[in-house]
Amino acid sequence: MEAIKTLLGKFETEYVEDYKKIWIKAKLVSSDDLTQVAEALKAEGLRSLSTVSPTDFPDTDTIEMNYFFEDLETKRNLWLKCDIPREIQMCEIDSLTPIFPSAQWHEREAFSMFGVKFRNHPDLRPIIISEDYVGKAPYRRDFDWLEHEKDVVKHVQTIVDAFKKEQETNEINLDTDSSETVLNWGPTHPASGPIRLRIHTDGEEIIHIDPDIGYVWRALEHLVTQKDFVGAIVAVERLCFMDNINSMVGYCMAVEEIAGTEITEFAKWMRVLLGETARISSHFMGMGGFFNNLGLHTMGMWNMDMREYFLDFLESYSGARIATASIEPGGVRYGLDMAMLDELQKALDKFDGGIDDVEMIFEKNPTMRIRAREVGILSAEDVHTYGLSGIMARGSGVKTDIRLDEPYAAYDQVEMEYITTSDGTAADRFTMLFRELKQSVKILKQAKKRIEEGVASGEFAPTKDHMVKVPKKLPAGEAISRVEWARGEVLMHLVTEEKAKSPYRLKMRAPSFNHTMMLNMLLEGKTLSDVPLVMGSLYVCQGDLDR
Amino acid sequence: METVIQAFVFPGLLYVLLWTVGLFWFFRKFMAPLHKRVGPYFNGPHGSYQTLFDLSKLLTKESITPKGVNPYLFSIMPLLAVITVMLPAAFIPWTESTPVVHTEYGLLALIVLIGIEPFLLFLTGFGSDNKYSFLGGIRVLSQAISMETAFFLAALSPALLFGTLNLEVIVEKSSWSSFAVLIPGFILYFIALLGLLEQPPFNIPDAEQEIVYGFYTEYSGTNYFMLKLAEFVEFMAVFAGVATLFMGAYKGILWDGYSWFFLKMMFVAVVMMTIRAATPRITLKQMLRFSWRYLVPISLLNVAWVMLAKNLFFAGA
Repeated sequence: MEAIKTLLGKFETEYVEDYKKIWIKAKLVSSDDLTQVAEALKAEGLRSLSTVSPTDFPDTDTIEMNYFFEDLETKRNLWLKCDIPREIQMCEIDSLTPIFPSAQWHEREAFSMFGVKFRNHPDLRPIIISEDYVGKAPYRRDFDWLEHEKDVVKHVQTIVDAFKKEQETNEINLDTDSSETVLNWGPTHPASGPIRLRIHTDGEEIIHIDPDIGYVWRALEHLVTQKDFVGAIVAVERLCFMDNINSMVGYCMAVEEIAGTEITEFAKWMRVLLGETARISSHFMGMGGFFNNLGLHTMGMWNMDMREYFLDFLESYSGARIATASIEPGGVRYGLDMAMLDELQKALDKFDGGIDDVEMIFEKNPTMRIRAREVGILSAEDVHTYGLSGIMARGSGVKTDIRLDEPYAAYDQVEMEYITTSDGTAADRFTMLFRELKQSVKILKQAKKRIEEGVASGEFAPTKDHMVKVPKKLPAGEAISRVEWARGEVLMHLVTEEKAKSPYRLKMRAPSFNHTMMLNMLLEGKTLSDVPLVMGSLYVCQGDLDR
Repeated sequence: METVIQAFVFPGLLYVLLWTVGLFWFFRKFMAPLHKRVGPYFNGPHGSYQTLFDLSKLLTKESITPKGVNPYLFSIMPLLAVITVMLPAAFIPWTESTPVVHTEYGLLALIVLIGIEPFLLFLTGFGSDNKYSFLGGIRVLSQAISMETAFFLAALSPALLFGTLNLEVIVEKSSWSSFAVLIPGFILYFIALLGLLEQPPFNIPDAEQEIVYGFYTEYSGTNYFMLKLAEFVEFMAVFAGVATLFMGAYKGILWDGYSWFFLKMMFVAVVMMTIRAATPRITLKQMLRFSWRYLVPISLLNVAWVMLAKNLFFAGA
């Protein structure tokens, strides 16, 4: 950490301070120094750029850019800020994409949402937003959403016209005698989910893939600013509702940090319990989805059978099976009735009874291995360069897990270790999913035992200890929190104003965004049959891709 | 009079339709417990009326014909496909008294009529004005050419063993010992059959997750019903081929008759379904490699083995 501070000492900074155990927070005076600082940081070892997040301050006429640099090996992280003028003509900054390739789509997003222009960006096109929002910077504080929505018919027509024009011209430069064509592996495709891939193929061989995302754009980051701090959890949980708990935990941790409240031990263990249940539910779906893309639906059905019991537990706890809205700033939303843990035990018994069959038939399935061992290969270097996290990172041998690197909730008391595989193929990532599933069940059993012991000994009062009061109006401040979500690393950046009832700005960094950036690199030169396989092994969810 | 009954009832139109309905239901009901679910349940005892309802629903749906298609290829091919694939039913000896057509070249007719099917399906894919249909059609062509070579070689081995192409004579002469000799041919025929019928692991032309629905993509309503009918009648023709050539058709333990034929066809269906529930699909390149590097050479070796066995064991016959 000292090395980073000395490095920053060479540039003009407003402040450099320690923030939590493994972060340094710093602000540059001039945005022109950014590229030099970035190059120095990369040479120092901070090779991953997690995300790029602008915050709009119309009062001071500035946009504050936030950059989050991470070193996955030695666990040193830097939160770097700098200001740029807010006026559209002068809203420019140097692009970091030539130095950190993972910044490419994040800068496109900042461009689309806030109107920040990045000099030297290789491909600065709008992303996520639909045609009718292009050029309007919808996340700025002075954008009037209601006014924009009055003209719905005209906006729909804009979108349709743009699509038709693209379809007419996308094959213009291709040779009509060759077998090259541009396919829409598109939203109305049985295996794609709500994403469109423009695949330029030569027969069945892929030449180039360009993902077109934004079909599930709900502007969650804006929606959060319209709700109060508790109501915002329903927007946060819809990052991807399969694993809704862990994203809520991230948001609530940021709120609690600004408010200065400390939650109870019982609430921490409950967060671990619920978080691992949600992770298991998400992994079951992910494994089933991987095999569905290979044409074998049996695994999906078997997984659903086991998953239903875990969802029964969530239903008995919160009333909802999938989007549970059960983590609130201050703890967990509902008290625990010990009978609910019996439901959980039923699920664990069902899991223990069925998982060996699943392993024998599907995880060791020779046909799947033949297909998945050759494609989707990511090296450890790629993990650092493109800012990958979660299964993708650990599948290539990089030991990074936020539950161990920066423990939150009760994870500092949980016995767990890094699980990695070394080759980084699609088959390895499937194996990772499987092993993580088993690890989650072990953690779940630990949490359940701890809670039962705590309640029996009187340490926890399950119906009273679950919540502490958090004030409705928070002081001005900002905080970041990271959680190990089912699909990777979720970083939440929360900014609050003095005595406001809603968040001022919430940035949710989604892992699937970085993962989908890799598609072109992974699939160039492969065949069409590999597209669903690689998409399935990347474990993306279009919900958090688009937010 | 008898010809009319044979053409329309058994083994003609009604028989073929009943067979399609029954097989469709059987596939769904058998796969269900392998998937830990129930399958058709509400309509009729164990859901057996479900297929009738599904098929009649398909017949009443609108047959949408997209604008840019080739009208002959798009609309006439499904009909041609159904007719072509119903013809082998006339050559197969279902019981001792049939087949409908007595001929010296029954086996040849069977193979040719079964083998021509994929080419008609390719033309349907070619005629739809859709990139995905075209890709599906090309895949059907590649797969059919590779798998049919092995299929023909394996299907011809009984003919070599017994020295005749006449299906009735083959059935008459088959016995337990000839079955033992033909076991490699049986296995090869089964694997090639998976490829020809586009069943997992070779369901490449029908790859929902890759190319939408292959050459079926633009079809709906009656057209789609025709194509599906062709697919299921082809199942029947190929299974009947297995039973006739390798397993001795209607011959059985204790008594001979049609029921044994039915049981043998069901056995093949059951094995096929079990493989379907446990195997993902392989890619086109891997299938081509498998077929030309392993399947066809082994089929040729099988032909050599059958000739050897004929001279050693059946020299007198």
